[in-house]
Amino acid sequence: MEKKLERLKRSIWIFHLNTGSCNACDIEILDALTPFHDAERFGVKLVASPRHADAILLTGPITLESLPKVINAIEAAPRPRILIALGSCACGGGIWHDTYSTVGGVNSLLKILKERGIEVDAVYCVPGCPIRPEALLYAIALIKGLVQKKVKPEVATAE
Amino acid sequence: MKRVFKPVELIVIAGKTGRVTIKYPFEGPLISQEFRGLIVISPEKCIGCGACVNACPPNALEMLESPDKKILRYYIGRCIFCWRCIDVCPVGAIKGTTEFELATNDFLDLYTYITHSRAHCTCGTGGEPVRMRRYVIEKAPIVENYASKCPDCRKKSLINAVSLRKVGFVGEEARTS
Repeated sequence: MEKKLERLKRSIWIFHLNTGSCNACDIEILDALTPFHDAERFGVKLVASPRHADAILLTGPITLESLPKVINAIEAAPRPRILIALGSCACGGGIWHDTYSTVGGVNSLLKILKERGIEVDAVYCVPGCPIRPEALLYAIALIKGLVQKKVKPEVATAE
Repeated sequence: MKRVFKPVELIVIAGKTGRVTIKYPFEGPLISQEFRGLIVISPEKCIGCGACVNACPPNALEMLESPDKKILRYYIGRCIFCWRCIDVCPVGAIKGTTEFELATNDFLDLYTYITHSRAHCTCGTGGEPVRMRRYVIEKAPIVENYASKCPDCRKKSLINAVSLRKVGFVGEEARTS
């Protein structure tokens, strides 16, 4: 599978999947594709169908209404498939993490996908509310191995 | 004829404008100093009072409790970078940065833990963190007498004091009579 992910480092075609977000992250995705930031430098192309996509950009906390459609779209993407969770909502649920009508972030979605036997090869998480277009470019550069990741877990003891 | 020269005009305009695309991952991002990015909690200053936990809208800052420890957990994946925790922190332990390059492929990278040990009451139950007790005593010297007691013991001592004044004796006898 590592070899298959290596193949994805050429150019990543992305499918944009809005799962109940407030449209701020979606506008930032469009901003990243404009000539000013120009994500197409890295071979990124927005495609209309998940069947053509290498990576799925997931924005928003996955609402219960959108959950079946999200599962269908992820299932339709060919292997190896990457899931990129954009924004606080998709990463950990954001301010909707404990509401009744959302699944609460990509972690819960992965559990549901595992139950149904749908495999996702890599999950990338881009926190931000909303994300900056540069943060999306950074995530793409991280997938392609151009930059090193900066965040690391910290455990500190105060006495 | 005009149509033929259209591409040439466009080349002239493009030449005047120049390159607009930024070379982002290979050069610095376009952020101002006012940009609200990642918060950094200093374990040296934090007293574990939980003011940030109350203020946090998406519960990105959470207090995990056990009898011996209080653990402040910061999950970056849920943080909306509103910086309200910075406003409410009484000791200024939380600092804001302009860091936004937080993409990762492992969810465990997004957690920060700060462990506080609890100060124990004389009856054995765990109370507030040691540092918070020290902070409260520094702020208000009179509380030294009862700051080391848990809420139950404090209530009991108050009832005893009242009963001593009203009835004349303390302890179980006061409650039964």
